[in-house]
Amino acid sequence: MSDQGSMPPPPPPPPPPPPSGGGGYGAPPPGGGYGPPPPGGGYGGGYGAPQGAPPPNHLVWAILSTLFCCLPLGIVSIVFAAQVNSKWSAGDVAGAHEASQKARRWAMWSAIVGLVGVVLYVLAVVVGGVSSNSNA
Amino acid sequence: MSLVQHLPSARLPPRRRQVLPTAAVTAAAAGAATVLARVDPNQPGHYPGCPFLLVSGLYCPGCGSLRAVHDLLHAELADALARNPLTVVAVPFLLYALGAAWARALGRRPPSLTSVPAPVIWGVLVVVLAFGVLRNLPGWSWLSPA
Repeated sequence: MSDQGSMPPPPPPPPPPPPSGGGGYGAPPPGGGYGPPPPGGGYGGGYGAPQGAPPPNHLVWAILSTLFCCLPLGIVSIVFAAQVNSKWSAGDVAGAHEASQKARRWAMWSAIVGLVGVVLYVLAVVVGGVSSNSNA
Repeated sequence: MSLVQHLPSARLPPRRRQVLPTAAVTAAAAGAATVLARVDPNQPGHYPGCPFLLVSGLYCPGCGSLRAVHDLLHAELADALARNPLTVVAVPFLLYALGAAWARALGRRPPSLTSVPAPVIWGVLVVVLAFGVLRNLPGWSWLSPA
């Protein structure tokens, strides 16, 4: 990733037609909770799809852990991310929220395992002078 | 980013709550990018090798991602593609996700990458799995990180 530190916030895109999704909890409409369903329905708008935005599917974290944690845990997280949107569009609100939690959990475990691995490696280098090939 | 939205926080307005975690993620990413640009992952011993590769002898979908990002940071696109094309494809999306997280934290409602129809995400899964398998097969060495 390039210099994200210096990346200014992007120019505000025009507010899309509701629901822009993804954020879900982030910016609920005034009124709290999931708020009243915005007019227009969800993405995809299939039959049975609840109105409003689906719960967060944590897909970005799943991709990050797949690419940078070098462990297949992230792939499980992608599966749950897809389930969030699948179940939501099928009208399974509880299932979508459950999948959202699982996606989050797996992405977190993947990140934790990756971090622990790095810390152990640094310790090994410091203590034992171990070196190994870089294949990540 | 959405992980962040689950953090229990004080009762700040919803968007304000996101500014600090988004800034933390941005700082971490910038820090990682700085280290990765300066410390060459092509040199053995600079970073830990992949435990999955060590144990299985196979390239996972993430293999070569550090070298690919290092190459991207040095504007060497061809080299980056040779190490891990999936990472090269993913980087613009990840940058967009970070920008969108900032936009949300600042009260905008940018189009979300992740509330796409489910088949798109299943498609991503298939691509990732296929990539992970093919790059280990003879004849597909252009996908392998070596």
